[in-house]
Amino acid sequence: MAILQKKICMIGDFSVGKTSLVAKFVRQTFSDKYLTTVGVKIDTKLLKLPDGNQVKFILWDIAGSDSLTTTTASYLRGAAGFLLVVDGTRLPTWNSALNLRLAVEKQIGSKPFIILLNKADLQEQWEMNEQAIEEKTKQGWKLLTTSAKNGMNVEQAFLELALLMT
Amino acid sequence: MANIPASVVRYIQSMWMAEMILTYLHVDIQGRLIDWGGYPQHYGLIDLTKDKLVVEQVNFLDGFLDITHTEVLQYLNIGGSRYINVHIVPLDGSIYVLLFDVTDEHNKQQKMQQQVNELSILTYRQSQLLQELETTRKKLSEEKKQLEQAIKLKSNFIATLSHELRTPLTSIMGYTKLLDDAKQANDYETKYLDSVKRNANHLLSLIDNVLDQTKLEIGQIKLHSNNCNVKQLLADLKSLFLPIAQEKNLLFDIKISNNLPTQLIIDELRFRQVLINLITNGIKFTDKGFVEVEIAWQNGRLDFTVTDSGPGISSESQQKIFTAFHRESTAKTLPGAGLGLAISYHLVELMGGQLSVESSPQFGSNFTGFISANSVQFPNNNVNSISHTNIKVLLVDDSIDLRSLIELYLENYGYAVITASDGQEAVKLALQTKPDIILMDMQMPVLDGYNAVQQLRAKKFTKPIIALSGSNIEHDRKYAFEVGCNEYMTKPVDPENLLNTISKIIQ
Repeated sequence: MAILQKKICMIGDFSVGKTSLVAKFVRQTFSDKYLTTVGVKIDTKLLKLPDGNQVKFILWDIAGSDSLTTTTASYLRGAAGFLLVVDGTRLPTWNSALNLRLAVEKQIGSKPFIILLNKADLQEQWEMNEQAIEEKTKQGWKLLTTSAKNGMNVEQAFLELALLMT
Repeated sequence: MANIPASVVRYIQSMWMAEMILTYLHVDIQGRLIDWGGYPQHYGLIDLTKDKLVVEQVNFLDGFLDITHTEVLQYLNIGGSRYINVHIVPLDGSIYVLLFDVTDEHNKQQKMQQQVNELSILTYRQSQLLQELETTRKKLSEEKKQLEQAIKLKSNFIATLSHELRTPLTSIMGYTKLLDDAKQANDYETKYLDSVKRNANHLLSLIDNVLDQTKLEIGQIKLHSNNCNVKQLLADLKSLFLPIAQEKNLLFDIKISNNLPTQLIIDELRFRQVLINLITNGIKFTDKGFVEVEIAWQNGRLDFTVTDSGPGISSESQQKIFTAFHRESTAKTLPGAGLGLAISYHLVELMGGQLSVESSPQFGSNFTGFISANSVQFPNNNVNSISHTNIKVLLVDDSIDLRSLIELYLENYGYAVITASDGQEAVKLALQTKPDIILMDMQMPVLDGYNAVQQLRAKKFTKPIIALSGSNIEHDRKYAFEVGCNEYMTKPVDPENLLNTISKIIQ
């Protein structure tokens, strides 16, 4: 039986940790050194679902930006879902994520997504507005606090997105 | 390349890509791989199989095979360190996928973007830090306000306490002096009286020091510079301290430079206070040898030095010696609150000068300072020489003890004294008896001194009024002048000073 293949896009402002989340998820590695992504990095990962089925994720780690450009918009074609990544220590990246979600939906229609509040290991610099988060949760959005550094909720994030897509 | 249609070849040629490594894939309408060419292994594309679905072999193409016009995907990394531009060109029902290596161009772009992003993050962090600094500044400013308010409350509390302590102390000191002057006491009684006097003086000095320190802390001490007979002041100090020094078998002298003018414009009270503090300390800590004061004047600057042959001060202690409540370990058994030097230091600063210390253990200490002091020629008046026989004084004070005491002084000097115990009575008596001068206590029941003076001035009473107050606070002094007082004296009032002031004013 052919394995189900799903294209997932990593979306978010620059330096929020998209590449680090993919590296942690795919290769279990992490580096503190920031290396900006230009274009898109494509990775694959086979994920076993709780029902025993397997799904192959084609992960498109798209260059970070606070808005969607023509170039980045073309990468979205065929995406089955996306992870919207926010840097918990920089409040403006939350607003970027909200704008990007609207732009993505306009481009590829309504698709499952999860908001990842990343860099949870830097709690002393945390700038997230709890009230805004609560508001989105009440609207039915799925939000997870993650850390690519210590692995917190990384596997969980991809698994939950897989479940939202099946 | 032979299998590529001419139109696709022209498409390739339209781009500048001499350095690019070209690979192409040809895909049919069902998405199966028909053919390929170039160097697919360069991009990690190995084991390509014809007639098999291309998305199973080149998975990033998933979603791109149903396009109707050319699509370009820039800077794709599909593993390894190479970056490619992917051109997906639909042609006659099939698709040509062209792969070009753009690693070099990508790396240049990446380097630039890295700098832009790092700068952006740095700017953001800086702005956050500035915001935090501003928040901290605001918080500190708020705390400073609260602290200032607390200090003000403390200051008012100490001022009130000072007033409450000064009034009874005035009576104690005055009556002790009267008893002492009577000279009928036996040895024991004289000894007891001396003890009462000494302790009352100590208590008064302590109250004054605490109050001065409080006022210095909140910047409430204002100088009252006036003509001062410096030579007389120094002579007074010499006669005050010589017997004390002699009691300890110490040599004591005040040396004055030849050019010291008789009259200088200084705050006499505060300069006297500084010298008293320094000399008192010198005598207190010196067990053997001498205490010597040197005074010199030149070009508006009055220099003073107090040298002793005492135990000296360690260099570590010299750093803290002008700090309030600092006490030398050697002073623990001696009386004092550790305020004298701190007060002196700030007073000297207020008087436009500086105070410093040089000392070495075993060789004694040397306190050196200066203040601003301009000289003036001032006619010498003998204020006590005039006759007081016909001068009528209205003395107003709610304390019967104090009233009786001052009345006694004034009558001894020939003044005719009328008394009142509150402001209301004072206003009535003043208008009836028309005194030449009024001595007015400022804090009294029924009608206080401030209101009484205001009423008298409103009723055209033009004769001088001297305020006698237990408060040493600048605000109270200022207010007394505002309501119409001509002079302001703080309790306990020195009898001689009071008599001189009365003489000077009525003259």
